[in-house]
Amino acid sequence: MTRKRILLAKMGLDCHDTGIITVAAMLRDAGHEVIYIGLHNSAEQVIKVVVEEGVDAVGISFLSGQHMTQVRRLLERMRAEHVAVPVFCGGVIPSDDAAALQALGVADVFTPGTLTGEVIERVDRAMAGARA
Amino acid sequence: MNAPVDRNAPRDHEEQIFETGAGIPIEEVYGPEAIEAFEAERDLGDPGEYPFTRGPYAGMYRSRIWTRRFQVGFGSPEETNERIKYLAANGANGFVITIDLPTSYGFDSDDPLADGEVGVTGVAISTLEDMEALYAGFSPAQLSYALSIRPPVSSVTLAMLACVARRQGVDFKDVIGTQQNDPFYQMSGGPLQTITQFFPLEGTLRLCVDNIQYISNNLPRLNWMVTNGYNLRETGVNAIQDGAFTLGHAFDIFRLARQRGLDINVFPRRASFFLSASIDFFEEIAKFRAMRRLYARTMREEFSASNPECWRLRFSVQSAGNTLTTQQPRVNMVRAGVEAMAAVFGGAQSIHLCSYDEGHGLPTEESSRMALRTQQVIAYESGITKTVDPLAGSYYVESLTNRMEQEIGKKLADIGQRGGMVACIRDGWLEAEINTARIKNQHDIDSGRRVLVGVNRFQVSPEEDPPIHIHKIRADEWGERRTAMLRRYRAERDQARWAEAMSRIDAGWRNGDNMVPVLMDALENKVTMGEAHEAMRKAQQWSFR
Repeated sequence: MTRKRILLAKMGLDCHDTGIITVAAMLRDAGHEVIYIGLHNSAEQVIKVVVEEGVDAVGISFLSGQHMTQVRRLLERMRAEHVAVPVFCGGVIPSDDAAALQALGVADVFTPGTLTGEVIERVDRAMAGARA
Repeated sequence: MNAPVDRNAPRDHEEQIFETGAGIPIEEVYGPEAIEAFEAERDLGDPGEYPFTRGPYAGMYRSRIWTRRFQVGFGSPEETNERIKYLAANGANGFVITIDLPTSYGFDSDDPLADGEVGVTGVAISTLEDMEALYAGFSPAQLSYALSIRPPVSSVTLAMLACVARRQGVDFKDVIGTQQNDPFYQMSGGPLQTITQFFPLEGTLRLCVDNIQYISNNLPRLNWMVTNGYNLRETGVNAIQDGAFTLGHAFDIFRLARQRGLDINVFPRRASFFLSASIDFFEEIAKFRAMRRLYARTMREEFSASNPECWRLRFSVQSAGNTLTTQQPRVNMVRAGVEAMAAVFGGAQSIHLCSYDEGHGLPTEESSRMALRTQQVIAYESGITKTVDPLAGSYYVESLTNRMEQEIGKKLADIGQRGGMVACIRDGWLEAEINTARIKNQHDIDSGRRVLVGVNRFQVSPEEDPPIHIHKIRADEWGERRTAMLRRYRAERDQARWAEAMSRIDAGWRNGDNMVPVLMDALENKVTMGEAHEAMRKAQQWSFR
């Protein structure tokens, strides 16, 4: 496996960070470099870090129901600025919304209870696909 | 690598780990030697008497079944009020009012930061009239609301509540409910960033004590929640850390209130706690009993309180959301049932159970009703309420209660040496403890050390897991309606009176006045939630935008 650089962020006002902190540790243990920029980020703030740090993927986590609004805006801004890296979402996301997020262009959606091995495998697969 | 173990396969002798969730070893059997040091008179006392191990009140559930709280709050205050009317008619007798995230941070529904968040996690409250609408048809002397909020915002909601009581002609002495007032753990219990990003920490602590002072002097029946141990526990810390961080935080807040000159024999009377009941049944029961004893001893001995009402730890419980699974969600009803019984054996004053669908989204009406019905079965069918503290004297329960008291006490001493809980939060020590716990929990689930039915054992394929109904949010619609309402509100108010009230917030802050009456005046002059916060930030020469 090649070491990748992954940006993790929370967006909107949601402040539940247990999931994203745990995922950051999983990805680091798997050998990736993780940049976690904390809570309350806007799409513009996320994209700025994507560009400045040249990351290979972005993971955004939600627990409080704002995933559709925030992710739609993030993907629109990324397209407008020609920033193309895979975007992952994780958290409490209803299955209908998970499908809708993937239809918008999200690479994969992780819901609670996904074990570490599966998270790493799916993230690696999506990043490899993005390179091909 | 070893071959993967089929964890679903039946086994003659299953590997088990004989320790509690917090790592306390569990013996095969407990006998009299396990409680040799135990003295019933000293360690148990009578229910309602020092050290309150057996419960804060003499008759406990024989006198009064715990409050079956129902969590409600979405969209506008009017919609939430309609829902409360329906639920009150169906047997809920207390409500946890959840607040949307913009309001939780003190932003109005039309703030750009509120985009996509209005009414989603709870009700939006931006004006005094919003709070009036929330109480429409109800008196704050009759119906108990626990507003899920924290300082600085809780100073504004407390002022709103007082204004609603005054407008309805209700004597302040009769107002009931709970004003949550935990400056630190409310926002998911997590990072310092939640506390410091939108309001200065010193200002938040000042308002926390303003609230205690105002409630203590004016609203003698209103509970104020000193520690939201629940949100803290939800981060993944264990029962010992839960007990110690919860009590350590409360004692620090009490010290702040005492520094303000408040009387230790008066202000803690209506202090209450909000705690988690997790899945490790006996450990949770022991935690509740041990916390009551530790609190009583600390309040009497360290704080030298002589009023027995100030020795008595009272708490509401929510079942642990972080024990719920997304997989096979209906199994969560069983988890909530186990946790509810732990709360009842532990002597809770009020219980709210998580809904089984919380791993998928916000609760639906149907899933909320199931959670209430679970409590009603325990309260009215099971019979476990019919004698007080039925587990007292059990070799295991008393031994575990003693052990929990010792372990929580040790951790509290450690926190004391680090300068107290507030210092531990400020310097990042608490966050480091939380993060270590989070990662350990994930390792334990990955390795199977901790069994999660449906996640790392006893799984079914997604096709076999029947779908459940999911709560739909209407954030865009709510945001638009609230924005239009606030535009009218700001246009139609008396601008001169509004401006004067805004300047009185500034002056009151700078004078060090208690801000609750100042905010009441502001709300009556149609200052909004967001504007009040902006005025208080300005008075501190502080800005985040």
